[in-house]
Formats: sequence, C-alpha cells, structure tokens
Amino acid sequence: MKYEESRRLSEEGSEERMAGLLGNAASRLRLRGASDEPVERMLARGTDRLFSCDSPLGEVYVGVSERGVRVVGKDASPKRFARRYRERFGRILSWGEDEHTRRLAQRVAGALAGEKIEVPMDLSGTTTFQRQVLEVVKGIPRGEVRPYAWVAREAGSPKASRAVGTVMATNPVPLLVPCHRVVRNDGTTGSYAFGAEEKVGLLEGEGVPVGELADAPYLATPTTGIFCHATCRNARRIKPENHRRFRSAKAAINAGFRPCKVCRPVVAG
Amino acid sequence: MSMESEIGNENGVGSLEPLAERLAEGDPGAPRELVERHHAELHRYALGLLCDAPAAEDAVQEAFERAFVALGKYPKERIGTLSLRPWLYRIVLNVVRNVWRDSRRELSVAEPPEPDERFGAGSSTTSGSNREAWLDTLEALRRLSERQRVAVSLRYLGDLPYAGISEVTGWPENTCKTLVRRGLRRLGALLDESEEKGGR
Repeated sequence: MKYEESRRLSEEGSEERMAGLLGNAASRLRLRGASDEPVERMLARGTDRLFSCDSPLGEVYVGVSERGVRVVGKDASPKRFARRYRERFGRILSWGEDEHTRRLAQRVAGALAGEKIEVPMDLSGTTTFQRQVLEVVKGIPRGEVRPYAWVAREAGSPKASRAVGTVMATNPVPLLVPCHRVVRNDGTTGSYAFGAEEKVGLLEGEGVPVGELADAPYLATPTTGIFCHATCRNARRIKPENHRRFRSAKAAINAGFRPCKVCRPVVAG
Repeated sequence: MSMESEIGNENGVGSLEPLAERLAEGDPGAPRELVERHHAELHRYALGLLCDAPAAEDAVQEAFERAFVALGKYPKERIGTLSLRPWLYRIVLNVVRNVWRDSRRELSVAEPPEPDERFGAGSSTTSGSNREAWLDTLEALRRLSERQRVAVSLRYLGDLPYAGISEVTGWPENTCKTLVRRGLRRLGALLDESEEKGGR
C-alpha cells in the first residue's frame, strides 16, 4: 500500500513537472510573433488578392489570382465585392499588400488609364467561346470601334453576334478587355454594363467621333476604291473631300467599293 | 490607388464582429487577421508533433492554404458559425498525419538528423539551459505514441482545454485526459532516463 501511494505521488509530481516544462517552453515560444513574410506567403497561396485603383470609370476593385487579373469591377464596398467574388470563383479575397501585388496594381492602374501595358489575366472561369471573343476584343485599338458582327466573325462564329453581346455584358475584366469599343452594327454605341452614357463618355475620351458613326459607320474613298470601318487607321487618312459615307457594308459594296484588308468589314447580310 | 482606405469604414478596424462572421461576410482584412492570430500557436503545435522546425512551418503553411481554399467553397452560413481555432488545429493535425504517413515510407532509408539542426537554431528566443531543456523535451515528445503526442501538444503547446482537444481529434474527452496524463508521465520518465545517461 505504501509503495502504491508513493508511486502515485511520484507520478503526479512527474506530471506536474512536465506540464510546467511544456507550459514554460510554450510561453517563451509565444514571444516569437509571426513576422510578415510567412503571413504573406500563406495569404498568397490560399487566397486571391484584392486592391482598388482609379480608372476612367472611377474607383474600381480588382481581384487577382496567382495567374493574373480575374475581375475588374465597381461595387458598394470591398466587402460586397469580395463576397460576390467568392460566390463566382469559390476563392476568398484578401487585401494585397505585398510587393508583388503592389507592382501588379501599378501596372493595372496604368493599363486602365489607357497606357499600352500588358497585364496578366486569368480567364480560367470562362468558356472557350468567351475567351476567343475577349481575345478579339482585346485587339481593338484605342480610338477605334467595331460592330458585334465583326467580333463574331473574327472569333470564328460569324452567326454569333448576339452571343458576343452576352459575352460583352458579362466581361469580367472591362477596360482591360475594352468591350466599350464594341458597338451595334448600325454604328450606334448600344448598351454597357456600367451604363450607356459611360460608354459614350469612354469612347469620346478616346477620340472616337461617336455622333458621326451613328449616321455612317463605314467610310470609303474613290481614290483607292476601298471602304473601311470609319475609325480604322486607314480611314482616318482619307482627305475630307474624298469622304464617302455608308450606313452599311452592303451599301458600300453596291456602290462598287471593296472592303479594307486591315479592318476587314463584314460584308455578308 | 488605395489598398487600405476602405478597411476603416465598413469593416472597422478592431471590429467587435467575430472573425468567423467577418470571413463569411467577405471582409478582405479578415484572412490576414486569421493568420496573424493563430500562426504562432499552430506552429508551436506542429513543432511538438513533428519535432522539425522547417517541416512544422511547411505543415502550418499547408494548413492555412487548405483552410482558405475551404473558406472559398463553404456556404456562407457554415463559415459564420465555425469555431475557427479548433478547426485550424484539426486541419494542422490532418496535414501532420499525412507527413507522418509519408515519412514512414521513407524511414527505412533516411538517417535521423541531428536534433539541434532540426529544431532550427535561432528560430526561437529560448536560450541557454532553458533551450536545452526544451530540446530534450521535444526529443522526448517524439518518442511518445502518436495519440499521446497529439494530446499533450494540444494541451500544453496549443493550450487547448480538454473539450477543445476532443473537438479537434474526435476522441472522447476522458480519453484525451488519460492520454495527456499518461503522456506526461512517460515524458518525465524519458527525460529522467536521458539525464541518467548523463544528458545528451
């Protein structure tokens, strides 16, 4: 009995001693706070990053994955933007305060302001058709516009004008992919995810003669016998006295002009 | 370009809203706070289980990555009601169990490295004889059974109550208590043993 008793006591003593030792070690280790570097690494791997920046549309939020920009958009608050981002992509957003994201943010701000800067984009949440369309639209230069039918044909689906309209309406990266430069086939500007007026404002800001286009989206010259989209860089070299304006490509063809090989107007229909 | 300008308004620095709810609401400041709050204790816990500083760091890193990926996919209501701390401990345990499983396959080829190397010299503020005692303890911890090591680490390195340990491991609370008690005793015996051998 005595032996049992003393053994129990010694065991309890041992437990206490060890608990003390572990507790001490743990509290000393507690002093060692997490430095920024591992915190950043964990955020970079597990979350997508968020920043805000100025744009011709006002302040926008930008969500980026490891691969590039996934969304540019406006919202009531960063919280709401992040919530919708999560619903759409199944990833949570954290403020991108690291060096890498800062640098990307600067490039994005430049690109949004109209500078010719390549920005990596992550369009993994889109269909093949959407990507083809976005790729085509990305190539429309500043100061020029193209009709939906043209985008459809360039994307390899000439009958898909309407589908192109849908892709434009849901464009995840407006301004970076300049969907505001896609207009209706009759030359009027049409609608825009941020409002029709914003679209007109953006285009005017880029030097597009919006009013003229609505009357005549095509321009031809008798000197070469060629007709263009009125904003094509070749069309802008035509002297004013040689301007021949057309409401449709068909009308230009009927008048004996051939389509420009640079801007490739759609002739069918 | 402002990255922090909004944090102050809607989300409120030092907001009283629980972190889980802020994560559910999409507060972009919440993920960083989650890491800052729990990183150190999870690292300590992983170190107790793995006895290898770089491996522990990797395990915590992977655990947070898993946690964030899960938070991206869980329904909002579920996130709001999560008990974040036990949840994170559970994820670390899962990651560590994978490490154990993988290392068992390699054990036959790999020589055990020198303890001092593995605990990452200079990675803690522990110094002198305290440090030695701590290293000895970790080394002894490594020789406990897996269940005892898990329970002891959660209790004393993670400072979790028994109910928390039970939540993390899924073992009944009384089992956890027994494991901790026996683990501590065995730890004491192992340390005495190594002292009798004249330390190491």
